[in-house]
Amino acid sequence: MNFFFDLVIGGLSIGACYALVALAMVIIYKTSEVPNFAQGEMAMISTFVAYSLMNTYNLGFWPTAGITLLFALVLGMILEVAFLRPAKDPSILGLIVITLGAEMILYGLAGWKWGANQNPFPVPFSEYSGISPGGVMITEINLWTFVTSLVLMLLLFLFFRFTKLGVAMKAVQQNHFAAKAMGIPTRRVLSFTWGLSSVTGAVAGMLIAPISTLDPNMMLDPMLKGFAGAVLGGMTSLPGAALGGYLLGLIENFFGGYVSLEFKSVVAFGVIVLILCVKPSGLFVRHFERKV
Amino acid sequence: MDMKRHYYEDVELFKTNTALALTVLFLAALASIPFLVGDYALYVLNLIAIHAIVAIGLNILVGYTGQISLGHAGFFAIGAYSCILLMVKAGLPFVLALPAAGLIAAFFGFLLGLPSLRLEGPYLAIATLGFGMAVTQMIGHSDFTGGHMGIHAPKMSFLGFIADTGPRQYGVIMIVAVVLTLAAVNLMKTRVGRAFVAIRDSEIAAEAMGINISWYKTLAFAVSAFYTGVAGALMAFALEHVSAGSFNLILSITFLAMIIVGGLGSVMGSILGAALLTYLQLKLQIIQEAPLIGPFLIEISKRYFTTEGLPNIQSIVFGAIMIGIVVFEPLGVHGIYLRCKRYWRMWPF
Amino acid sequence: MKKSLVISVSMVCLVLLAGAFCAVSAAEKVRGVTDTEIIIGQWGPQTGPAALWGAVARGSGVYFDMINEEGGINGRKIKYVLRDDAYQPAKTKAIAKEFVEDIGVFGVACGVGTSPGMAVRDYLMENKVPWVGPATGSRHWTEPFQKYLFALYPRYTDEAYVLTQYATEKLNLKKIGFFYQNDDYGKEGLEGAKKYLDKKGIKLAAEVPVEVTDTDLKSHALKLKESGADAVILWVLPKHAATILGQAKAAGFQPQWIASSTLSDAPLMYKLTKGLWEGVIYANFLDMDNPKVKKYLEAQKKFAANEQNTGVFFIAGFMFVEPMVEGLRRAGKDLNPDTFVKAMETIQHWNDWIGHDCTFTPQDHQGMKSVFLSKCGPQGQALKISDWLTYPEGK
Repeated sequence: MNFFFDLVIGGLSIGACYALVALAMVIIYKTSEVPNFAQGEMAMISTFVAYSLMNTYNLGFWPTAGITLLFALVLGMILEVAFLRPAKDPSILGLIVITLGAEMILYGLAGWKWGANQNPFPVPFSEYSGISPGGVMITEINLWTFVTSLVLMLLLFLFFRFTKLGVAMKAVQQNHFAAKAMGIPTRRVLSFTWGLSSVTGAVAGMLIAPISTLDPNMMLDPMLKGFAGAVLGGMTSLPGAALGGYLLGLIENFFGGYVSLEFKSVVAFGVIVLILCVKPSGLFVRHFERKV
Repeated sequence: MDMKRHYYEDVELFKTNTALALTVLFLAALASIPFLVGDYALYVLNLIAIHAIVAIGLNILVGYTGQISLGHAGFFAIGAYSCILLMVKAGLPFVLALPAAGLIAAFFGFLLGLPSLRLEGPYLAIATLGFGMAVTQMIGHSDFTGGHMGIHAPKMSFLGFIADTGPRQYGVIMIVAVVLTLAAVNLMKTRVGRAFVAIRDSEIAAEAMGINISWYKTLAFAVSAFYTGVAGALMAFALEHVSAGSFNLILSITFLAMIIVGGLGSVMGSILGAALLTYLQLKLQIIQEAPLIGPFLIEISKRYFTTEGLPNIQSIVFGAIMIGIVVFEPLGVHGIYLRCKRYWRMWPF
Repeated sequence: MKKSLVISVSMVCLVLLAGAFCAVSAAEKVRGVTDTEIIIGQWGPQTGPAALWGAVARGSGVYFDMINEEGGINGRKIKYVLRDDAYQPAKTKAIAKEFVEDIGVFGVACGVGTSPGMAVRDYLMENKVPWVGPATGSRHWTEPFQKYLFALYPRYTDEAYVLTQYATEKLNLKKIGFFYQNDDYGKEGLEGAKKYLDKKGIKLAAEVPVEVTDTDLKSHALKLKESGADAVILWVLPKHAATILGQAKAAGFQPQWIASSTLSDAPLMYKLTKGLWEGVIYANFLDMDNPKVKKYLEAQKKFAANEQNTGVFFIAGFMFVEPMVEGLRRAGKDLNPDTFVKAMETIQHWNDWIGHDCTFTPQDHQGMKSVFLSKCGPQGQALKISDWLTYPEGK
């Protein structure tokens, strides 16, 4: 039975990381209508910045985390201003290609700056010990991942519900032109959504790096899984995407634990295709047919 | 200036005699190349031709029909493996195995097209992406397909003729490429091609016009997969050895980049994009050996970056090209060509 | 009328194309060798997912620089051409053609990766390009026998055999788990381990595969724990080795870890696992304590001062070309692929390098068949715990 609960814990903790990436993608998707393929590399670069701050400048973890999140915010905004804004009336495919291009640029920059070496990512909490209720081990990093992801989700919820900026973002999501007419500086809001999404991604990066290792390829797999999680839950719903991420983590771990490790990575996509056949807009979003 | 008075003017392959003459010249140039250049250049041309076939196929799906696919590496792999397996295990001759491989890929394309009937945008992207990954995993884990180690391709041969040298291989690949290109140009002028375009422009309007959306969407997937499958089969012979790991997501993305850079919804653009990106992929890796830029880059690397990471510049340049094209010339290289043409036609005004 | 014209013209062109089928004749003089120069090429992934192993190719470059500075080989200097294939076979093939047709290399050194190597093996052999020391332990370099291909990296199957034997006989661990990368690299290791265990009539306690792209290894760690293995053999990338050690420890599972030679960079692994690597037993194919290594590292300071990655795989780049340079020396002034092969085949029980007992015979081009074992010490230092162990005798 412990095996079962261990799998649940494992699924939830990686699921939390997927959920964060999924959230980051959905934040952008809702305003810019583009699945942001650069999400993973944005998080990877931020994590590398954190690593450099700790290693080269000997900063402590918490100040590093603060600076990194700030960096992520700026990075996201810069990307939006530099790459997406200049495109005039781009098609969705054009936007996707822009994010793919940004992904390649960031990947190349990271490889150029930090080389291909694998690096350990130190964190002030233990990866091996923690609490074990009933013999099921929940390590400190697992706990931190759960707590951080839940707190972040709560903060995002509050942000979108109660702050002026959050409401403005929602307005931009729902109707770009009406928002503009109401005096909302839509362009500034757009670049801020990119910043916010980048921050969310950076948190995910800093939680994944300690359990894996840090190198330019670190986020390739989590990014795809986060994207898949977001699609599973529905690209237009924040809680849906987060649930999708958790669900994906659980599915993977159970499939790996009980059926086959070889197809663990692929099963997620299989499940998604099946679910999409039934619910074309994801599990937690109502599908509506496009009007003329 | 392009007024058409007759239906047959719309469907004919070459609009003017100049176009015809240029095409003939181009084909003659293609035919004479093996007498002029070495094996390496021929291999590069082979790669370009193969990628051009994929790009044309992908463009039929993405540029003409308005769907998206991040899983074309999967069809590429299916084509490569089925051609080899048909020849090695079933003993089919190359001439039969090649189209058969395309048809097998087309069948899978048809299957993938089914869920696409209800999906769009990111949902379709993730479904196709999942398909591509699943194909590579399946192939990599099945002993029948040689597992992760991959399998060796037999020699291309038909009617006792063996294409083992560079020029011969070039001949076979080019003939297939030319035939498929002409077929694609023709297809786009028929009812089927116009139906694809109608679906891209407005699904609902197309349906109202009496186009069977389900049929044409899956057909677009199947045709696109057929092209990719044939290209994959040719790739197997160009490489002589295929392994599942090389048909990855990056390859699918590269295919997509080719048609974006070349120009969506244009056969010519597909070829230009495939040629440009294939060439860049092979040549950008020696950017540090280029005059002027090279030493400058090395100096920058020493000061701010790492020298061993320098080759990563290729990825940066690649990304910058993709973004630059979308931002400045959404019609791609083909768009630049059209603009130049228009400029010269009206010159000096 | 026009349509038929088009068709007929196209036909003519196709026929012309078909006319292009005649072969181009090859050059007579020895490719890549002049009175003052020998051109040697290598591909290695400097970008992309396998870029970590790109250090091998850069190491070889430093070694050739060193040889040139010492006066070259028989009055000839080595011109070294390094190309990045990003671990994509299509690119590797292009590079091989460029080497042979455009640049005209005499031979090829190392080259990382089995599938990129397999895409060019036949092409290189058909063109009589000597190829020494592919940087993987695949058995496809020597099976079937290739005249111009000399393999150095001990075969994964042999290495796994020796490691498993050591675990069961010396360490007396009978329940052995195997954690492997699910591709040719991992599967050949698995095969070697099974070969030994089958002989002894033991079954593996667990066979746990991992995909190259996987990040989350929790379920893998739990599977290993469920099996209750005393020892787990690792046949994976450094990244996965570091992750599985962490996850297994978190799950309260701490067997004796035994690692393949791809994980033999103990200081790196120690750093990467934040200390968990201590006590891990692993195979080595090169001896970092050899006095030559010191000399090589000095050469690195001189010729590649900016190099960050100076671990085992950088040095391996030196090792894989040492026999090649020895062969070039022995071939003498009259150098062509055939004299080179003859010269290489005179290398028998040669130990003037950082590997062990290099032997090539006209029937067997697997030059090295030995590994020795080390244990990672408390500060990440390598503690040698065995002599060179050779398959199949395997002491």
